Amino acid sequence: MKVNLDINNRIYKTYIDADEALLSVLRKLGYKSVKKGCDTGACGVCSVLIDGKPTLSCQFLAARAEGHKITTVEGLGKDADEIVDAIVSEGADQCGYCGPSLVLTTYAMKKELKDPTIEKIKHYLAGNLCRCSGFEGQLRGIKRYMGVK
Amino acid sequence: MRFEKIVKPKNFETALKILKDDPDSVILGGTTFLRLSDKKYSTAIDLADLDLDYIIENEDNIEIGAYTSLRTIEKDTIINKHFGDLLPKAVEHIIGVQFRNNAKIGGAVFGRLGFSEIITALLVLDCELQFEENGIVPFAEFVSNWKIKRDILKKIVIKKKPGKCLYKMLRTSDADFPILSVAVSNFDEIKISVGTRPSIAKLSQEASRMINSDNSKIIEASNLIVKEFTFGDDMRASGKYREKIAPVLVSRALQEVLS
Repeated sequence: MKVNLDINNRIYKTYIDADEALLSVLRKLGYKSVKKGCDTGACGVCSVLIDGKPTLSCQFLAARAEGHKITTVEGLGKDADEIVDAIVSEGADQCGYCGPSLVLTTYAMKKELKDPTIEKIKHYLAGNLCRCSGFEGQLRGIKRYMGVK
Repeated sequence: MRFEKIVKPKNFETALKILKDDPDSVILGGTTFLRLSDKKYSTAIDLADLDLDYIIENEDNIEIGAYTSLRTIEKDTIINKHFGDLLPKAVEHIIGVQFRNNAKIGGAVFGRLGFSEIITALLVLDCELQFEENGIVPFAEFVSNWKIKRDILKKIVIKKKPGKCLYKMLRTSDADFPILSVAVSNFDEIKISVGTRPSIAKLSQEASRMINSDNSKIIEASNLIVKEFTFGDDMRASGKYREKIAPVLVSRALQEVLS
């Protein structure tokens, strides 16, 4: 079936299978920042923003994405740089596989949490699993980005 | 799950006709099982065009559309105003924000899943489900009765009542399924539900009767839960462990509700 997808403010006319996950389509279109991890909705590395809300692209049907604004980390521009700098400055970026999804979720969290605390940050990021950094370095950087001491 | 085509009906009548005419069709919820099953369907019915994503408060009820996400329910101020943190507590540990932004309350309810925490919580509210074909069905009746399989869940209607309610659970890991979940309410009478046993949540009859007849019998009623319910084994806990945990959670919940 043919769909029009709005990805990072660019319209793509593309053909998909009815049961194809958005993750698969994004990677076919060259958005390799969107990673395939567990592919079952548990690890969060496939996260993208759908109308500004972090969503697992492995569970989101591409056929349902038509009419919504899809944002990957490539679409965040300088906002992404600021988050990446905060994480890297704490030496937290190791293999980098979870990095793009963590940056996207942190970006959405900053917009959503009016009164961030360390507990709220941890809770918000519970769906982002990192296989190698142990989270502490990432959390230090994100706390600084969120303005939490 | 696999399917050959996806349709987006413009009204409920069309959606129900497709569902009834084609035994291999399926109604889509949040598609959280998209990659967890190889089951094949002919047609997937997407209700996204039927405006089922809402939370409305009217004079007597709160209505939740079947396509409302668990994350919306978690954050909603109307629900929180009337039922405290009962529903937010029942959904806030499900995987992560990304998952809950996509998972729908309709799918969580209609699937009658044993690990569903939201079913445990909704059971202690005065709650009804509205279906396209079967009309209005009391929530507890739907949960214990498997007759409704091919219908469209449109909304969940919760009656507003003064009183207290709360949710308690035990889990070993933040984003994993719980070992046990308990909800207690005190509106017209005290209701106790126990879920993720690991089978589907159920309302207590005997323990509820005891505590309603004498509010001081918290320990006795809590201990009765073990006799009243069956507790099974799964990879998270044994039935015997659940039997030890259940009276503790119920007792704590009753103490808080009755305080």
